[in-house]
Amino acid sequence: MNYEVIIGLEIHAQLATKTKAWCSCEISTKAFENTKVCPVCSAQPGALPVLNEKAVEYAISSALALNCKINPHSSFDRKNYFYPDLPKGFQITQFPSPIGTDGYISIKDSNGNEKKVGIERVQMEEDTGKSTHMAGASLINLNRCGTPLIEIVGKPDIRDAKEASEYYKKIQSILVYLGVSHGNMQEGNLRCDVNLSLRKKGDTKFGTRTEVKNLNSFKSVEKAIEHEIQRQAALLDSGKKVEQQTLLFNIDTGTTKVMRTKSNADDYRYFPEPDLLPLIVSEAQIKKLKENLPELPDAKIKRFMQQYSIPYYDADVLTSSKELAQYFETAAGAYKGEAKKASNWIMVELLKLINESGSDIAKSPVPALELANLLNFVLDDTISGKIAKDVMQKMYDERISAAKAIEKMGVKQISDTSALEEMIKKTLTEHAAEVDRYRKGEVKLYGFLVGQTMKNTKGQGNPKLINDILKKLLDG
Amino acid sequence: MKDIYTLHTELKNKKISAVEAVKDCLSKLKKSNCNSFISVLEDKALVDAQTSQDEIQKNGPKNYLHGVPYSLKDLFITKDIRTTAGSKILYNYIPPYDGYMSEQFKKAGGVLVGKVGCDQFGMGSTNENTPFGVVLNPLNKDYVAGGSSGGSAASVAEGSSYFSIGTDTGGSTRLPANFCGIVGYKPSYGRVSRYGQIAYGSSLDQSAPIAKTVLDMGCIISNITEKDPRDTTNVPLPKIEIVNDLVNMKASYLKGKKIGLPAGFIDACDADIKKNLLAAIDEFKKLGAEMVDVTLPNAKYCVSTYYLIATSEASANLARFDGIHYGHRDMKAKDGIEQTYVKSRTQGFGEEVKRRIILGTFSLSSGYQDQYFAKACKVRRKIYNDFQTAFKSCDVIFSPVCASNAFKIGQSDNDPIKMYMNDLYTIPVNLAGLPGIALPYGKGANQLPTGFQLIGKTFQDAELLKIARAFEVRA
Repeated sequence: MNYEVIIGLEIHAQLATKTKAWCSCEISTKAFENTKVCPVCSAQPGALPVLNEKAVEYAISSALALNCKINPHSSFDRKNYFYPDLPKGFQITQFPSPIGTDGYISIKDSNGNEKKVGIERVQMEEDTGKSTHMAGASLINLNRCGTPLIEIVGKPDIRDAKEASEYYKKIQSILVYLGVSHGNMQEGNLRCDVNLSLRKKGDTKFGTRTEVKNLNSFKSVEKAIEHEIQRQAALLDSGKKVEQQTLLFNIDTGTTKVMRTKSNADDYRYFPEPDLLPLIVSEAQIKKLKENLPELPDAKIKRFMQQYSIPYYDADVLTSSKELAQYFETAAGAYKGEAKKASNWIMVELLKLINESGSDIAKSPVPALELANLLNFVLDDTISGKIAKDVMQKMYDERISAAKAIEKMGVKQISDTSALEEMIKKTLTEHAAEVDRYRKGEVKLYGFLVGQTMKNTKGQGNPKLINDILKKLLDG
Repeated sequence: MKDIYTLHTELKNKKISAVEAVKDCLSKLKKSNCNSFISVLEDKALVDAQTSQDEIQKNGPKNYLHGVPYSLKDLFITKDIRTTAGSKILYNYIPPYDGYMSEQFKKAGGVLVGKVGCDQFGMGSTNENTPFGVVLNPLNKDYVAGGSSGGSAASVAEGSSYFSIGTDTGGSTRLPANFCGIVGYKPSYGRVSRYGQIAYGSSLDQSAPIAKTVLDMGCIISNITEKDPRDTTNVPLPKIEIVNDLVNMKASYLKGKKIGLPAGFIDACDADIKKNLLAAIDEFKKLGAEMVDVTLPNAKYCVSTYYLIATSEASANLARFDGIHYGHRDMKAKDGIEQTYVKSRTQGFGEEVKRRIILGTFSLSSGYQDQYFAKACKVRRKIYNDFQTAFKSCDVIFSPVCASNAFKIGQSDNDPIKMYMNDLYTIPVNLAGLPGIALPYGKGANQLPTGFQLIGKTFQDAELLKIARAFEVRA
């Protein structure tokens, strides 16, 4: 393909405040329809908004974590449009002066190199209610209406689908780390729009872009981008022009459909919200929020690599969620061997079990300290490394401790030298002919004798001790 | 009819009961027959009056408004009491909550006689822009009571309320008060909570009392300047308590006060108005005030500025009236939600409201916003600066309220621009967020009242009221 792909993402994140942006209604996805509403969020005449201070804190923390400059004097605006789930007839947002501007995050590009993706702005706004369309009727639920949102507008620095989902994942992980958003895409906590255009390689001017809306998973972001690249490239290849459009993506068919074109685009008639004062944020307030930021994924990756001597890949996987990172640190701390071993076990064995059972790390049936115990049992030769996987499965299935599982399974390793020596002598007596042939120079029979010994110990013999004793008895 | 302060004294001295007072108001309402009310709450008022009377009987009045009959412009939200904004679009709207104003007067023990008429959403100067019918001037029924708070002014003038709360976005209390020969006072923007006041132009809207005397303004204002956390534009200042100052006020307070006279203001008025304004100025001089010439060079742009900003804000404020969530809906509208919006709004809003929504929508449109809305905001700042400069050389500013006094009914039909010009003298005060008070003074050629306006410094409401009271008590 002779085109360069230019992608910019707009991500909407619901803030995890207890109450709504402009009123004190509780935010709840479980409440009965239209029970978490008041004169303000149902837009009764005469009602006025009051800004939720917690939402401001969350927005500032997010902007700081995304390396943005915090605007000491930002303000709110009205974005006018009619829709039944927007009862005011306008959305309160931030247009010319958002709370944060000019940030970036780091991702790995397709070649595994570190890449900075710029963030143009972080703005505060509000969610709408929810429409449910049925045959012959549309139902409105205003429980969600007025939930505080931040919109994170990324710069057009992304070049392919993989980078886009890397970026989206990183943003999700940062917001969840901060505790400012639940980050659940199924619940609609995070939503993403993709802006995409193509230009001939070497061109400096951007091509006409389209906006794809309604992407509620990493996979749909990737799929939509791949589809849109193909579609635009085909148009350009055949000498046609890309039209500036807003598109809706359908994950089932993998295609897009036109929602609106530029010629009938809405004029939102932004103007300053007269009911809310400008938002003034002091240096001291910014400093305090900055100091209270938790350790973010990038910093954690660096620390994990140094502190635990694990490679980047491991650190990246282990920091993909706060809970997983916490799990690793607990396990690695209690494990007496090298942290890399704990990392392997978590990434390979534990995550496999968790994924298979559809659970999540926070609810793991094998707690971090028990995983450490299991690995310590391997380290001190209580069990063999081979049997440990079965023990883990038992621990996971029955939610029992490592000690209990080993006891139940009867797999404790035999490391008693005299007991092993007895068993080996018995093996050698049983296979006197092979011993004879070995001693005459048929050294490859050694393996056979180890195997038979193991069999006699029911697999529980300590392999290293068996080796030592067998050698001594045969060669000594 | 007596003023609030006198009624309060009589209630305290048990010369009259709250029930007698409200019965008297109701009978005056019937006799006057000026269409001042949209909803009369006769039964409720009698019950409330009895409750207040029982409390007064026991412990005496708890404040100046306890047991006092009053009315609210129908732009103020009253829980469980129909609130129409003077418009068909809300003809059936029963609010599920109480606004600040309603709450404050309930707390004070005032007796709500009813909800009074107004131009739809406060848009108009004559009270003719409403399906509930024009409010007649109680002094001569061939004339309008003025607008948009015409019902408020008429109810106080006819004696059916001791006071009424109107709204003032561009002069909507000062003008009708002036037309009806009583006092209309617009507090500084931000001094009184707007929570529960149906919005027109949010950055200009201010709830504003109408009463018989300046002293009564003191009685009212302490009850409505308590900080309300639900309106973030409501300033955190202590409430204004000045009744004692006003009771003891002497005309000599005016000695040495500097009163600004803006160049060119008076000359543009009708001859009879001008004559009375000059006579009032003479009186101020005689009482020892010093008249100072000031200039408000950008005031001439105020009408355009106002009609761009107010209508722009209105175009968004009125978007919530969509026929879906509450209010009037065309139940026969077919072809989806779009048609329901269009038909409900077309039927629900009056002509003047539609005109202002269209004007405001245009002023904010992409490609036009810079030359209209954004420019108006800049001129607004210049007008504010003009006042700040003028106030360096004076304590208050003296100004006409309107170039004429009350108009005949139907006189201003079909010429919106001419009608907008009536707001020339009241609008600058809203644009600059200042306090202003309209006082009655003299009679015009049509034998109806005339008057003048005093404009105070930002948040110097108490000083403005004191100066106005000093003039009121002159011999």
